[in-house]
Amino acid sequence: MTEDTPTVTLGRFFEQAREGTLTGIRCGGCGALAVPPKALCPECGARRWEAVPLSGEGTIDSYTIIRVAPRAHADDAPYAIAAVRLREGVSLLGRVVDVPLNALAVGLPVRFRPIVVKDRSAVGFGPA
Amino acid sequence: MRRVAVIGVGVTQFGRHERTSAELFAEAAVDALADAEMPAGRVQALYYGNVVGGETEKQLHTGPQAASVLGIPTVPTTRFETACASSHAAFRHAVMDVASGTSDVVLVGGAERVLNVPTADSTEYFAYASDASWEQTLGLTFPGVFALVARAHMHKHGTTEAQMAAVAVKNHKHGVLNPKAQFRKEITLDMVLKSPMVADPLKLYDCCPFTDGGAALVLVSEEVARKSRRPIWVLASAAASDSMLIGDKRDLSRVPATERAAATAYRQAGIGPQDVDVVELHDCFTIAEIVATEGLGLFEPGVGGLAAEKGWTSLGGKIPVNPSGGLKAKGHPIGATGAAQICEVVTQLRGEAGPRQVEGARRGLTHTLGGNTATVLVSLFGRD
Repeated sequence: MTEDTPTVTLGRFFEQAREGTLTGIRCGGCGALAVPPKALCPECGARRWEAVPLSGEGTIDSYTIIRVAPRAHADDAPYAIAAVRLREGVSLLGRVVDVPLNALAVGLPVRFRPIVVKDRSAVGFGPA
Repeated sequence: MRRVAVIGVGVTQFGRHERTSAELFAEAAVDALADAEMPAGRVQALYYGNVVGGETEKQLHTGPQAASVLGIPTVPTTRFETACASSHAAFRHAVMDVASGTSDVVLVGGAERVLNVPTADSTEYFAYASDASWEQTLGLTFPGVFALVARAHMHKHGTTEAQMAAVAVKNHKHGVLNPKAQFRKEITLDMVLKSPMVADPLKLYDCCPFTDGGAALVLVSEEVARKSRRPIWVLASAAASDSMLIGDKRDLSRVPATERAAATAYRQAGIGPQDVDVVELHDCFTIAEIVATEGLGLFEPGVGGLAAEKGWTSLGGKIPVNPSGGLKAKGHPIGATGAAQICEVVTQLRGEAGPRQVEGARRGLTHTLGGNTATVLVSLFGRD
């Protein structure tokens, strides 16, 4: 048992996301930026993370429109999911909201938007 | 390490079954043992793949259950779960067991039953192989994962929906020649392109089906193999993993785990992609085949779509890919898929594949992918 507690737990990330802030972790060893939680830095193996707020601004790397959904999400379909590259370099998957499905494009600027899907905090992106 | 060979293979009909996955495995295993002319009493271990038994059959501990139903309840049995790559992961560990000298005769296989539940439920169970907190919450599906790959590949390389459709047309054409295949009918480019959208840009005919089925093979040491009629040698079996989260992948147009597993396998075998005559690879979606042919080094990055379009991967082409019909037409009983691919390549290298035989095939490759491209297995095989 170690006395260290993780810098940002999964639960804490989503609590903060619900309040409107995306939180990343930066490695005190090599400076790599990552999405929490991670025990060790995948780049250098260090265990010296520091929480850093992320801008939430990014562009779409890739996207899809889910038309055949899992049972739990069936009444939301069709909905868009995109891999978004944030300005800081890390990328996150999120639901795209308030963007017409036919306006989705690789490279489209978007901005983080806290969303709740089936009572759970999740990552969303809306128009920039 | 000792040389290892496959001396017996067995695959059930793929499609809908009214039997449990353990029964399907047992049928395949009985065929594999008969093919190997090996009494069940000589089997020293079972390496087994099964994925969603806990959901569709309310059954865990499926390894010993499968061994019991087969009638070898006392052999050490382990069930592997690496999503769709499960029985290929089982195979790799079985190879290490025999190569290390621990066992001389082992059974490898897998089975899955999913057509006993509605599609919305199986779609949800398959999505359990993506991250519960980051991805399942968004409603991401497996077609969705590969739709993200497809869009990235189209953007980077100009790959077209028609090129992806060409993969489906080709694999259905091959499937017609496979009596065990779930779908044995040809389809046209137009049928694929006009089929309903599942996860843009992937349409229904870009996706492999849900399938019930089982597969098994008998793996033995060189000493045992020398007494069998037509051993097929395992030249390499390699695994690689990658980040679980889609967001952590730097270039969605590539599957780095395929590239790493292939590099390890080629190094183990001392051969390169140019030495491979027949390939069974993981075409869970048409784009997955295109990206895999690139990752395995069969074509340069960005050329996989053109290769499908030009027929280079068809039977009779430059490098035939998925002569069995692939996951797309043969079917994809996820826990059995890796083992079934190996059974096909062994059958090809024996020269026993009938109308779908790749003429003169001496070396073969199998590639199986699990989850969000986070697990990949690549194995290489050769005949004497």
